[in-house]
Amino acid sequence: MKKIALALICLCGISFAADYDPAKGEMLALSCAGCHGTDGRSNGIMPTIAGMGKTSMQKTLLDYKYGRKTGTVMKKHVKGFSDAELEQVSYYFSKVTR
Amino acid sequence: MMNRRNFNKLVVSSFALSMAACSSITSVSIPKNKKRVVVVGGGFGGATAAKYLKKFSPDTEVILFEQNEEYYTCPFGNTVIAGMNDIEYIKHDYKTLESKYKVKVIHAKVKKVDGATNSVILENGDVYPFHKAIVSPGIDFKYEKGYVEGSEMYSPHAYKAGAQTSLLRKQLEDMKDGGTYVMVAPTNPFRCPPGPYERISLVAHYLKTNKPNSKIVILDQKKKFSKQGLFQEGWEDLYADMIDWRSVEFGGKVTKVDPIKRILTTEEGDVQADVLNYIPSQKAGKLAFDSGLVKGDWCPINTKTFESRLVKNVHVIGDASIATKMPKSGFSASSQGKVAAMQVARLLAKMPVMNPPKLANTCYSLLSPTYGISVAAVYEAHEDKIVKIKGSGGLSPMSASKEFRMQEAEYAVGWYKNQMADIFR
Repeated sequence: MKKIALALICLCGISFAADYDPAKGEMLALSCAGCHGTDGRSNGIMPTIAGMGKTSMQKTLLDYKYGRKTGTVMKKHVKGFSDAELEQVSYYFSKVTR
Repeated sequence: MMNRRNFNKLVVSSFALSMAACSSITSVSIPKNKKRVVVVGGGFGGATAAKYLKKFSPDTEVILFEQNEEYYTCPFGNTVIAGMNDIEYIKHDYKTLESKYKVKVIHAKVKKVDGATNSVILENGDVYPFHKAIVSPGIDFKYEKGYVEGSEMYSPHAYKAGAQTSLLRKQLEDMKDGGTYVMVAPTNPFRCPPGPYERISLVAHYLKTNKPNSKIVILDQKKKFSKQGLFQEGWEDLYADMIDWRSVEFGGKVTKVDPIKRILTTEEGDVQADVLNYIPSQKAGKLAFDSGLVKGDWCPINTKTFESRLVKNVHVIGDASIATKMPKSGFSASSQGKVAAMQVARLLAKMPVMNPPKLANTCYSLLSPTYGISVAAVYEAHEDKIVKIKGSGGLSPMSASKEFRMQEAEYAVGWYKNQMADIFR
């Protein structure tokens, strides 16, 4: 029992995952489509973000936000969102099929 | 004197006349148990709103009114003027919106959106009642200083894409080496703030390659312009002294124009152009005025929902709306189209509106086919204003490497492809 409790605490400690709010996630993701295509399905040089893993997308967005990743315009967009909002955006695209 | 037979004739003919008058006006009623949203104007704002309405609310009947079967975008229009792309490159249609998204597209001219009866009235008299309307009327020009309706046939504005784009392209091609291309750039606010300066850049690229003895004069009706530092840095690098920008304070102010002879009167004398690209000052599109949606030159809105402050149940998006701090750009209009569609869908479903919705803008400008710059920002919409989120957005850096400019030029093309797919496919 103690082990399970410990494991649970560890799990929470790693992910800090908030619940997904589909309406909010969809709203926050709307403007991404302008460059990345509808629901993140890209036809051009911009990467397809539809179906990207939630954890890896969230990490990428936070890396842009906190200067661990450079690039051109992404770092300017992510600073317009709270960390919690970036998580919702990541949830949204992880649930879209490619 | 009228005999019985003549009287009968008269009765029959007046009956036929009234029948004809009745049958020429059709009221297309809303299908039972359905909600109907009409979208008027099939540009960046309207076409996006129509597609996303069906995405958010598949059971709603969505009718898009757009007079033209084909749509030419202003973005990338400058590449057509400069001969980098064919006019086909900027041509789009509404077929996928109809077939894939089940938007009803009606190619007809709308006379007015009538808030009193909640209906759209077409020029031909047909009437379409609605529950909600999203209107994206775009811009019209303020005719001024001798530039009148029809002047665009001689001195194109090329600020509504299509035939005007091709005309300016043709005039540029026909211009002699050693000629002068003059642009009159408008006062604020106007559609696509960096647009005139991207155009100048790409015209310079064409002239440098094909007619290197030519020059370019910009007579600007304002003191400064969008991405100015970046443009001027690029112009110096790429085109040396080919471009002569004159601000309103230093020789740019135009007092009179002869659009046929292409002569501009300024405070510092006359300027003779070989090609005159006159971009007049702007106001909301005519439909907005005819529908009572305008105060001053533009349409006041509740910025959270884009509903008009003057007419209930009618939402106004895009260049015609007062959505400062967002610039009047295609990207902004599309972002607004999505938010308006989302809020309208929620209102129809009796759900609370999203509060506050977020919007964004990203504008790329090409200074040459391999030299791109950008500006971006994220916004939050409240009841009475749209604020730029602190810390978000910004311009491309000054003095960046060639590789960086090249990458942004590639992203510009990538943006256009995906933005077009997001709106039309």
